[in-house]
Amino acid sequence: MIRHIARKEFTDVLRDGRFRWSSILVGALLLVSLAHGWDQTRKARQEHAAAQATAREHWDTQGEKNPHSAAHYGIYAFKPRLALSFVDEGVDPYTGTSVWLEAHRQNDFLLRPAQDATAAQRIGALTAAQVLQHLLPLLIILLTFGAFAGERERGTLRQLLATGIGRRELAAGKALGIAGALSLLLAPAALVGAAALVVANPGPAASPLARAAVLAGVYLAYFTAFLALSLAVSAWARSARTALVVLLTVWVVNGLVAPRVAVDLSKRLHPTPSALEFARTVEQEMATGVEGIPRPDRDESTRRLLAEYGVESVEDLPINAVGVYLQESEEFGNRIFDRNYGALWDAFERQGVVHETLAVAAPLLAVRTLSMGLAGTDVEQHRHFASAAETYRRDLMRRMNGDMTENSLTGDFTYTVGAEVWEAVPPLQYAAPTLGWVLGNRGLSLAVLGTWLAGAILAAAVRVRRAEVG
Amino acid sequence: MTESPTGPTPLLEARGLSKDYGDTRAVDSLDLTIAPGEVYCLLGPNGAGKTTTINLFLGFVAPSAGQALVDGLNVSTHDRETKRRLAYIPEQVMLYRNLSGLENLEYFAALGGQGALDRNRLTEILVEAGLERETVGRRVSAYSKGMRQKVGIAIAMAKEADALLLDEPTSGLDPKASNEFSALVERLRGRGVAVLMATHDLFRAKDTGTRVGIMRYGRLVTELSTAEIGHADLERIYLEHMQANGGSP
Repeated sequence: MIRHIARKEFTDVLRDGRFRWSSILVGALLLVSLAHGWDQTRKARQEHAAAQATAREHWDTQGEKNPHSAAHYGIYAFKPRLALSFVDEGVDPYTGTSVWLEAHRQNDFLLRPAQDATAAQRIGALTAAQVLQHLLPLLIILLTFGAFAGERERGTLRQLLATGIGRRELAAGKALGIAGALSLLLAPAALVGAAALVVANPGPAASPLARAAVLAGVYLAYFTAFLALSLAVSAWARSARTALVVLLTVWVVNGLVAPRVAVDLSKRLHPTPSALEFARTVEQEMATGVEGIPRPDRDESTRRLLAEYGVESVEDLPINAVGVYLQESEEFGNRIFDRNYGALWDAFERQGVVHETLAVAAPLLAVRTLSMGLAGTDVEQHRHFASAAETYRRDLMRRMNGDMTENSLTGDFTYTVGAEVWEAVPPLQYAAPTLGWVLGNRGLSLAVLGTWLAGAILAAAVRVRRAEVG
Repeated sequence: MTESPTGPTPLLEARGLSKDYGDTRAVDSLDLTIAPGEVYCLLGPNGAGKTTTINLFLGFVAPSAGQALVDGLNVSTHDRETKRRLAYIPEQVMLYRNLSGLENLEYFAALGGQGALDRNRLTEILVEAGLERETVGRRVSAYSKGMRQKVGIAIAMAKEADALLLDEPTSGLDPKASNEFSALVERLRGRGVAVLMATHDLFRAKDTGTRVGIMRYGRLVTELSTAEIGHADLERIYLEHMQANGGSP
């Protein structure tokens, strides 16, 4: 029985000119945004690879110099674009993709596409994730709002129910028929996405195919929740117009109002400093130290070394006192950075929890968080890379200062080394987080999305059972 | 259809059937039986309770008191089984505009539990119901009301239901289409189908029905055998009942 209803609904939807045109439009947008995202990712990877090679070459060929000068010379690190970032670019346009690693400073990321984008680009930039998160639910609403209310208004619901079919069978058949029609729209996009993932270099993401499968499951749950919710409203509403108005209100709240409220509320609950305030604070603390993190004193450091080695002068030390002091300064800076960046990252994560919690009112917030997480473009994975880059920077500084400490006994900066030292520095080997790590961070969003799905199906079951014949 | 020791069980039966909407009693203690091969026409003005009676037999509304029975089964407790025995044609048969007449019939027949009837057989049913053969494949958006009513009849025929509920089925049809419709009902009656038809059309009720019941304010005020009265008698009796206590037809 359900099969007959689904087949009829499928045929009916396909013959509906409104569906044909809207699905052509949405399908085209989806394919274009996927292709554009893939092309952007490919170009970014090429550019990053070239820039990374150039940066490394500059490092290796910087010539003879003091290791601490080399530490100031620094090197760039580039955040890798993960395999699924072509679907959802997440926060990458705002957080930047490269960072300069140098002595004494934990720099902010550079290359933020959003900074360079023109107003027109900002408006026109539509990712596949945005099409899936915003336009697909709208299409589902337009296909489903009349499922019961429209049949009731036309009088066909009486005739249908008079045949002896149950309301739930009718709802299930309609849901399957509409889902079948939507799958015609989504299948080409899924194939293109899968091909892009398999054919192209999958990048450094751990288990990209598993991530893609979970991402597909997340969107499937989101669409099913919208479909069930639309059926529930259609069964409840007295007229198709009422159902449409209610569902469009839900769509606006979900897609436009809730994200804005989440941003404002999360900033109010967990405020973060402006970039200028943050830089000033770090600069001030670096200059003066803070309680519990005193600024190292060069004379005190030297006195301690002399006492430790039982010698009278720095010339008698088996190591370079300046190198030791520079490393102490580095470690002081690291503690200041850990304190400030740690607080900043923690605030961002608490803001993220507010977003995830507000998903109770708008499933888009849960889907967006999961989508960015699985694409590897969320704040947490940016932090993951930033931490890896910072660890690498600290190791690099330790190597440079250590070389100076161990090998330059003169205590001055005339000590120089060459390519053999630079080339001995290993490149940054970044391992992207595993799928388990990502999902472990996103448990709240998964739970909220699951609740939405179960709630929407339950609401549909209840409302459909009570649907009036008219 | 089941048999009792005293004869065939009525296919449609109302026992003390009542329906209240708030303070308004739409159907009041209705008792009626319709046997196989009988066409029972319910006459009455708007608001008399005719459509509510049909809705009670379809289980679309729950009775406030009494029972609606189909082939001896209580509609309230045997929703699916009773609907399997019924076919329903409303005042305006509404179909799916994007599907052809044949596809609409195929769909409703499948939902009615007829399984997979082949398209040739369904086409024959549509032709038997009065649709031109060349129109069965056209989308219903191009159909007239009369053509849609014929598809409605075809749906009822394909279902091979034991009982047929008709709610003002000829309203708005031209005389030719109404006559064709009556002929189809007559044919179904000949196959032993029990028909309950709500109508305003006295002429059609006399011509098509075997019995006529006149309803007013939810009550069945009289029942007549059409074989025993003429058109003029029926009109006179109907008007007498409508004008009693200041009512209007």
